[in-house]
Amino acid sequence: MNRTARNSLIGAGTPVVLLALWWVLSDQSTNAFFPPLRIILERFQQLWLFQHFQSDILLSLANLFTGFAIAAVLGITIGFVTALVPTVRWLIDPLIHFLRGIPPVALVPIFISLIGFGTEMRVTSIALAALFPVLIATVDGIRSVDQDILDVSRVYRLSRRERITNVILPSAGPQIFSGLQVSLQVAFIVMIASEMLGSSQGIGAMTLLAQQSFMIADMWAGILLLGVIGFAVNMIFNLVRRRVLAWYIGSRRLAKSA
Amino acid sequence: MNQSTKPMLLSAAGVAAALLVWQLMAVGKVAGEALPPVTTVFAALFTTLGTGAFWSSLGATVGISLLALALSAVAGVVLGILIGSFDPVRYATLAVLEFLKPVPPIVILPLAVLVFGPTQEMSLFLVAFGCLLPIVMQTVDGVHGTDPVARDTARSYGLKSPEILFRVVLPSAMPYIGTAMRVAAPAALVITVVAGLLGGGPGLGQSIYQAQSGGDYASLYALVIVLGVLGLIFQGATRAAERRALHWHQSFREVVH
Amino acid sequence: MQTTNAPDASVPDKNVPPQSRKKAMAQQPDSPEQSVPRLNVVHLAKTYGSGENAKTVIEDLTFSVEAGEVVCIVGPSGVGKTTLLKCLAGLHPVSSGSAAIDGRTISGPPPEMALVFQDYNRSLMPWLTVRKNLVLPLRHMRLPAAEVKERCDSALEAVGLTHAEHQYPWQLSGGMQQRVAIARALAYRPEILIMDEPFASVDAQTRFDLEDLCLKIRRDFNMTILVVTHDIDEAVYLADRVVVLGSKPARVLKVIDIDLPAPRDQITTRSLPDFAHQRTDVLSLIKRPA
Repeated sequence: MNRTARNSLIGAGTPVVLLALWWVLSDQSTNAFFPPLRIILERFQQLWLFQHFQSDILLSLANLFTGFAIAAVLGITIGFVTALVPTVRWLIDPLIHFLRGIPPVALVPIFISLIGFGTEMRVTSIALAALFPVLIATVDGIRSVDQDILDVSRVYRLSRRERITNVILPSAGPQIFSGLQVSLQVAFIVMIASEMLGSSQGIGAMTLLAQQSFMIADMWAGILLLGVIGFAVNMIFNLVRRRVLAWYIGSRRLAKSA
Repeated sequence: MNQSTKPMLLSAAGVAAALLVWQLMAVGKVAGEALPPVTTVFAALFTTLGTGAFWSSLGATVGISLLALALSAVAGVVLGILIGSFDPVRYATLAVLEFLKPVPPIVILPLAVLVFGPTQEMSLFLVAFGCLLPIVMQTVDGVHGTDPVARDTARSYGLKSPEILFRVVLPSAMPYIGTAMRVAAPAALVITVVAGLLGGGPGLGQSIYQAQSGGDYASLYALVIVLGVLGLIFQGATRAAERRALHWHQSFREVVH
Repeated sequence: MQTTNAPDASVPDKNVPPQSRKKAMAQQPDSPEQSVPRLNVVHLAKTYGSGENAKTVIEDLTFSVEAGEVVCIVGPSGVGKTTLLKCLAGLHPVSSGSAAIDGRTISGPPPEMALVFQDYNRSLMPWLTVRKNLVLPLRHMRLPAAEVKERCDSALEAVGLTHAEHQYPWQLSGGMQQRVAIARALAYRPEILIMDEPFASVDAQTRFDLEDLCLKIRRDFNMTILVVTHDIDEAVYLADRVVVLGSKPARVLKVIDIDLPAPRDQITTRSLPDFAHQRTDVLSLIKRPA
């Protein structure tokens, strides 16, 4: 009991202590690269709350979510068709496996050359790069659905549609969600990369621009914001996952404790 | 006979059809000069493969990835054992690690470029930073997840702490570390490319940036194809290495997933 | 307590819901189809693969099940019993011969049949609660909501799991999960219930309970039941007839009529001298070198 209390105190206290240390140690800093945290937070407030909120933060987030949503819908759909229709699988399997090998960010220059620097390019880059993790996870998930479950749904004469939405989709759910989580991380990376590569809008662009024009506190403010967004987006995803896959998480926990 | 050749024929047809569509779109100038024909791209690929500059870029990319991977593996496992062995340390780092985990290394790229400049060190730092965290976290999980019964048994047989570490704790953490390496190795390649493309570090990423900004679209596509092949090699190699290293641990790996 | 046991179910039980009772009436022996067995298997054979790799699992099986009967199939493990059930359930096509229900050849999963699988924890949907597991197979029947509810309620009551309806299968013990699988079959209201080693992975006490549940179902719902088991005592205890299979490939060694009195009871029936005789008959067939 005492031990648990101590441990949770340590867990909650450490980040606070670290931030306080950063604040104190950097307070008199004259090092150009590491300005005082006080100034970084000042700039954070001036930049992001709320001067550039709409023009840059919302823009970046809108691109991220649009691209990710397209990737999720397309990835799961193509994944289903690929897994369930052998002809399609044989046709596109080698292509998918080749494309997944390309580092996602390397696609950005291609899209810049094809469709320019606009929002369309960024959303397309994000969507295409984020497509593969969820697509491949969906195919794997469907192909590892238990044969017994499939037999049950045939014996009870479920319609094709019921089989897909009520049996195969939930059964592949855990793997689809793992794929979605990787896709989301890829989408976030490509969001930043697409902004950093020759664009003047978005959080990534502002952060890189600040670095290039030696506005160091601004750069730190940008890094801080991107870090918080990366963390928050992942946390929201985990909340959704925990809700949707409550049955899976519960059964795994039970199996582990047994 | 017929049954087994059909999938292969269809796969070949799929690749051929994709190349054909690409070629037709390029010849039809759907995207102007930005989409060069397949034939031009492959010609550029063969030209590129004959240049020394390409091979030194490739060498830089592979070298940086592997060196940074090795550094972060050693540092990550050591850190992971330290953190995982002492409960207070584990609790102290938990929140910090959980916050940093979903933050990709591209976020600190501006800082790395600022401190190191567009250099090899910058790339190394970025890749090591990106790979370190997953390795540390998996190692912590592995060490922490060591069966306490095995540990107590070893202690009751009079094994000393270092022996317990090398004979009990590390072997049982091995599958976790293996999983981390399987994830980290392809990531190392990706981050090296990012560092070159966005930060100006040496390697294929930089070559791609130059090809794109110089309007050399055939080379751009050729380089992306090379990266695709390289990515597959990295994924395949780490998978094979993990399988080889952990063949004795088949059942344990199920749990890790 | 079992007070009545009417194998021909000529007196409809008050527990039997209206629709099922109607069906049951239609199957009375005085119907025109009297001469055709409920389930008829004639020279059934199953071979996997072709050419040199061909593996014959079932060589030649012939047996039949009459309406309202409980028939058990016993045989050494690996004899192809599960393959046989998958053929009867229309999941696998037969290689030659035929299986028919009421004279109609089985070519896909028959609507009047339900199957209880051996592996309960792989045949229930872990993402659905117990009740929703029961409802899923009923959805495509487009029944009125009240009937769906009534069917699920009575099925859950029959297996004694009314209290667990909102739990997930993985929260239940093995025996309870198998009872959920049986309840799912009951709610489906099949005329023929096929069970593949349904009680193989539950403890002994649960096993007795589930065996009695099986007999109660037959009595209450007038179902035709086919059970595959490797447990000879269980087969003799449950069955009106036991089909003894020999390996390999599978063929029928003998069909033995079990004329133990009804109602059967775990203690009294199993201690009857006839019970011992009949289990010895079956055992000697299986033990005998083929």
